[in-house]
This record gives sequence, structure tokens and C-alpha cells, in this order.
Amino acid sequence: MPLYICNTVPNTLDERSKERIARDITDIHCAVTGAPEIFVHVAFFEDSRMVPLGSDRAAVRGTIRKGRSGEQKDEITHAIQSSLDREAGITERDATVTIAETPASWVLEGGEIMPEPGEEEAWLEAHKTTHSQGAQ
Amino acid sequence: MIQCTCIVQQGQSPDLHETELRNRLTSFTTTAFDSDPHFNWVRIPPGNGFTAGKPSTSSVVSMVANRPLSAEHREQYLRELVALWTSATSSSVDEIVAVIADPANAKETQNAAIHLQHRAEHP
Repeated sequence: MPLYICNTVPNTLDERSKERIARDITDIHCAVTGAPEIFVHVAFFEDSRMVPLGSDRAAVRGTIRKGRSGEQKDEITHAIQSSLDREAGITERDATVTIAETPASWVLEGGEIMPEPGEEEAWLEAHKTTHSQGAQ
Repeated sequence: MIQCTCIVQQGQSPDLHETELRNRLTSFTTTAFDSDPHFNWVRIPPGNGFTAGKPSTSSVVSMVANRPLSAEHREQYLRELVALWTSATSSSVDEIVAVIADPANAKETQNAAIHLQHRAEHP
């Protein structure tokens, strides 16, 4: 957690675009929230019912831990919009990016209940054997 | 029914694992929630799943409880979920994200029930 689901019209993104957008989303989330990148999951689908497209070419839904500010969520959604435009030519008018929240206490990852936002350092310290790569 | 969404990396989990996982998850929801699961089994095509910006081997199992859970019960169930997943597959605990949510409108439902009860008692 977070989990970002990117749904697009078929054949909108090639392999390289997906790699770049996944990298962008990971960097954006970590830069805005300070979370370690090992927590960030991104998955791409085409015409998925999980995140309906409507009339858009792309729809992205990020499910993140509850507790981020409205400004942080706005910053994430705008930066992801920019990435879609830059990497795939999908403009803001053709994409919807939304953020949903889940309490950290509802999630178990790496064998432990997820830390509350801002408490990642202590969590990672306790798990540095398994997450030392991702914490860097 | 317990809504149960499983997001797996396609090709990573053989059919045998999926059958075994479905059986164990059914047993789990029956024991924990006295209800069968309704599965939404989602396979991420190869090259489409990323963790930390790199190709992912992670799976997500997410379900919605049919009652609000205490922190202790939720953690116990989450640990049982991860244990059943790792024992049915070759995944490690670091490759599993487990989520158990409370029912979305549990509070509203409870409030509505209280309101209805109040009206019945004070017509």
C-alpha cells in the first residue's frame, strides 16, 4: 500500500510507457508523502471494470493510507496527470486520477500491520532485514 | 457473501495454487465471518505489475468484513490470511498485501437501525 491501478483504452500504453509511468508514480508518491518506495505498487490494465474509464482514455485510482492532507492528494493527482501527458500524450481532459484512502491498521504488508503515515521510519527499522533494499 | 478481491501476477501463480487458495479462502471466510466469499480474481498480465518501480512479484488479497472488527480481531485475521496464502503458494510474506476493510456503510446502517428502532419504540 499504496496501490495505484491504471486502466486505459487498449493499446494506449506500450511497455516502455508503463515502465516510465510506474517509475513516475512511485517517485511522485514517495516525494509527496515521504513513504519508502518498497510500499508503492502500480498495476496496469486495459478496459478493466475495477476502475471504469467512462469516456476517458485513462483512469488511475490510487488507494493510499488514510491520513494524507488534501494538498498532498492534489499534488499526487496533478503530478500523475502530468506523467500521463508526458509519457503517453494523454492530456488532463482524457484522464481521471482519483485517490481513495484506507486506514493503515486495515493493511498487513511485509508480515506486519502497516505504519501510520509519518511512522514509516520506525516500521522500517523493525523490518530492515527484509526491506533494507527498498528503504534506501 | 464476503467480497474478496485477489490481485495476482499472471503466470506467477499456477492453476493449482489458485484452486488451493480459493478453497482456503472459502474456509477462512466461513470460519471468520460465517459467510462464503464472492471472488473477484484479477490477474496482472506480465510486464504490467510494479513494486518500487520494478517488476513486481506481489499479490494483494482484499476483503470486506460483514461486521466492524476490533484491532485485535482484524490483526489476527490478517495474519491468518497471509499464513494461508504463503502456505498455499511459494510466496514469502514480503510479497503479500492483505487488507480487511470494515463494511463501507456499517456506521450508517447502524444509525439507520437505531433510528428505526427509536421510531418503533416512539411512534
